[in-house]
Amino acid sequence: MTALSFTVNGAGVADEVAPRTSLADYLRERRNLTGTHLGCEHGVCGACTVLIDGEPARACLTLAVVCDGREIRTIEGFAGDRIMTALRDSFHRRHGLQCGFCTPAMLITAHDLIRRGRAGSEAEIRAGLAGNLCRCTGYTNIVAAIAEAAKAVAS
Amino acid sequence: MNQGRSANGVGASLPRREDRRHLDGRGQFVADIKLPGTMEVAFVRSPHAHARIRGIAVPPAAQGRVFAAADLPQIRPIRVVSQASGVKSPPWPPLATDKVRYVGEAVAACVAASRAEAEDLAAAVAVDYEVLPAVVDAPREMRASAALVHEGWGDNLFTERVVAGGDIDAAARAAAVTVTREYRMNRQSGSPLEGRAVLAYRDHRLDETVVYASTQTPHTLRVALAEFLGIEERRLRVVAPDVGGGFGPKARLYPEEIVLAALANVLDHPVRWIEDRSEHLTTAAHTRDHHYKVTAYADGRGRLLGIDCEIVVDAGAYGLWPQGPYQEANMAARCLPGPYLVPHYRARTYTVATNKAPLGPYRGVGRPGACFAVERTIDEIARAVGRDPVEVRAENMIPPERMPYASVTGMHYDNGDYAASVRLCAELLDLPAVRERQRRGEPDGRLVGVGFASFTEQTAHGAAEFAARGASVIPGFESCTARMLTDGSLVLMVGIQSHGQGLETTLSQIAAEELGIDPARVSVRHGDTESTAFGFGTFASRSMVMSGGAVARASRMLRDKLLRIGAHLLQCDAAELRCADGMVLGPHGSVSFAEIGKVAHLRMDALPPGTEPLLDATATYEPGISTGVFSYATHGAVVAVDPETGFVELLDFAVAEDCGTMVNPMLVEAQIRGGVAQGIGTALYEEIPYDAAGQPLAVTFADYLLPGAGEVPPIKIGHLHTPATATEYGMKGMGEGGAVAPPAAIANAVRDALAGLGAEVNETPLTPQRVKAAIAAAA
Repeated sequence: MTALSFTVNGAGVADEVAPRTSLADYLRERRNLTGTHLGCEHGVCGACTVLIDGEPARACLTLAVVCDGREIRTIEGFAGDRIMTALRDSFHRRHGLQCGFCTPAMLITAHDLIRRGRAGSEAEIRAGLAGNLCRCTGYTNIVAAIAEAAKAVAS
Repeated sequence: MNQGRSANGVGASLPRREDRRHLDGRGQFVADIKLPGTMEVAFVRSPHAHARIRGIAVPPAAQGRVFAAADLPQIRPIRVVSQASGVKSPPWPPLATDKVRYVGEAVAACVAASRAEAEDLAAAVAVDYEVLPAVVDAPREMRASAALVHEGWGDNLFTERVVAGGDIDAAARAAAVTVTREYRMNRQSGSPLEGRAVLAYRDHRLDETVVYASTQTPHTLRVALAEFLGIEERRLRVVAPDVGGGFGPKARLYPEEIVLAALANVLDHPVRWIEDRSEHLTTAAHTRDHHYKVTAYADGRGRLLGIDCEIVVDAGAYGLWPQGPYQEANMAARCLPGPYLVPHYRARTYTVATNKAPLGPYRGVGRPGACFAVERTIDEIARAVGRDPVEVRAENMIPPERMPYASVTGMHYDNGDYAASVRLCAELLDLPAVRERQRRGEPDGRLVGVGFASFTEQTAHGAAEFAARGASVIPGFESCTARMLTDGSLVLMVGIQSHGQGLETTLSQIAAEELGIDPARVSVRHGDTESTAFGFGTFASRSMVMSGGAVARASRMLRDKLLRIGAHLLQCDAAELRCADGMVLGPHGSVSFAEIGKVAHLRMDALPPGTEPLLDATATYEPGISTGVFSYATHGAVVAVDPETGFVELLDFAVAEDCGTMVNPMLVEAQIRGGVAQGIGTALYEEIPYDAAGQPLAVTFADYLLPGAGEVPPIKIGHLHTPATATEYGMKGMGEGGAVAPPAAIANAVRDALAGLGAEVNETPLTPQRVKAAIAAAA
């Protein structure tokens, strides 16, 4: 077991983990943060996307032990966040989700796009979503919801 | 009919009530459920396509944690019973006994504290295999082969059947034009983003085994578990919590579900198995894998006289319970004439056993292949007679004045104006502008093409249809219990399972329509054998019509009782009353549902004499005709093909469709777009090839390509409105149609783009390699 101390959704955590434990498994099984989903476990589908030190990352390909000293933010850690509130509202109104499995990670990626000013056009949003697969929606409503949230946040 | 009229009822694009939990990351999928003491299961799986098992060696340290077939003798082999004659139905032991018949077949289950440790155990189990030659080429090996998938058969055919009507030889004699083509729709995966998952434990207090499963069909899963584990259904509860997409593969019974339930009964702790993506791509139901040889006969104007075809379906090693392996070929053969007047028809179908994963349903089932075959052929007929495919298509369609129409294959089309969908689709794409762009040419040298494909979608079919197929499980009805509580809030308990379709929202809209209740005061319970009456689940584009019909009926039964009690409380005649805004309204006053709820439960002294307490109504529903109500659509695609690289870019895509009355138009359009995205995957990207040894070559999302946001264009949608006459409100099912026509429309567009080169691509997916090869072959 390896000692690990880091921040998860703003709270300090000290724990011991087996070195081969992925960040996703750690968050889901040990911290009960089950909004981080596993769709492929090899870094393609993007359903496990979380923020590590503010940057989107694949929690399935990241070992928990390499997160020592770092700051993790999952879908459960956005209460009161202005961009996320706008996204949740627009995804609901524009029907940007169906089964909901890709949704938390889709929101985290969309949050990052808006925060970095990379949600200005449909083409930009589609390019920014390249790393997040959705099997249900065909993306149209997701793209529309992100564009709408970007506009709402800017105004 | 709709006394309770509500702004949130049928026809309202109400945002979904299921969104909140998912947006907050609080959805509850099987893998999210935590039970103390749960142990993880990993499977030892066959690395060979075909092999005899000579022995299984478990290391001493792993004894008691590895379970092979011999360790779980209570498990019976899965067996599909078909009422159709001549269909072979091999027994399928959920854990292999003497032989393995595809890569990934389960051999033993390993139990450990974590998935990683369970996989370590699985890696330590040594299985001694005698490798046998594999059957991989269905058309070539169906009759004679060096190897037999099931030795006792003498061949590799599950079944061969002929679907025919009219006189195909007469059509051949009369034809001015004959077009013959071979088509291939390759094997692929359904790949919902959440894989399969099972969590099982013993509830000692209730003396039952509880199985949480990511399934579309909890009630029939319970039927199967009881049968194959030999335990009474009353001692089994199956729950499908949030399910992260289904699309068909999760509407079948799997060995893993049986094994996990068996383990839960012999171990004193919960067990779970969460499928990983490679397991999904190798062992969850595969789909498509059709070969077609089509000869079409037409007159000099391109009017169809007859179609003669051969359909070979590579069904893999076993038939999945409950419907077995024949569904694909049967549906393909019966749907192939599509929306067209085809007087003479013959389809010879062959359902072949190979050493590959079993084939199962996936959005559209046999239809995308059949649509691909007939729609590519219609375009070739148009080319042969030198006419526009749009015109030839529309002219051949069953005209509205001939509805209802019994097709040459025995399909009973109910209503609609099929040709109108072709014209509307051409309008949506602005066909003249596309043709003008083609004439101008592209500055980058790419070639632009436009293509169309039409289809009918049999939906909400019931007893007559499934009985005709020889099915032993006939999903002919749905059920609903509507229960109003003491405060006037309402619970709908339904036998379907919603996994993205939004049925928690749309079924509450039906209740709003009938009762005048705010959908926000309605809960919809589904996916749990404990809390709902028997139902079949969600597949075959059936739930809105079937379950919606059951909700309508139960709501009306409830409404009658509300009015009866209301009349007594308001001292007037029930005929003078109506339900609206959560109240019973009369000429001289009103009484709220809450007040009636109180009387019906807590204050029975105020009930009208002879009226029983409770506000509980259970209803079943089957549509007025059980041969299905038919949605239909025409899809159109505009592509740019790079002749150097063979790369196909989708420039535009349109759908003109008619699904009768839409309960929630916003959700209907989203189902269409989602289906089209999957159809684009079939058309251009998704494929699981097998090599000559029977090894699957796409086992991760790095080599099995799902369409991303950059690959799916915005999709234009136009609606036609022909309400069904045999269903509540005129609804028709529409869940699958989006996935049916894109491969055909896109292949027709590519054909159009390459017309000048004389090249055509008749195999999906239309990868750059295949497009380049077709161009090279034509040169």
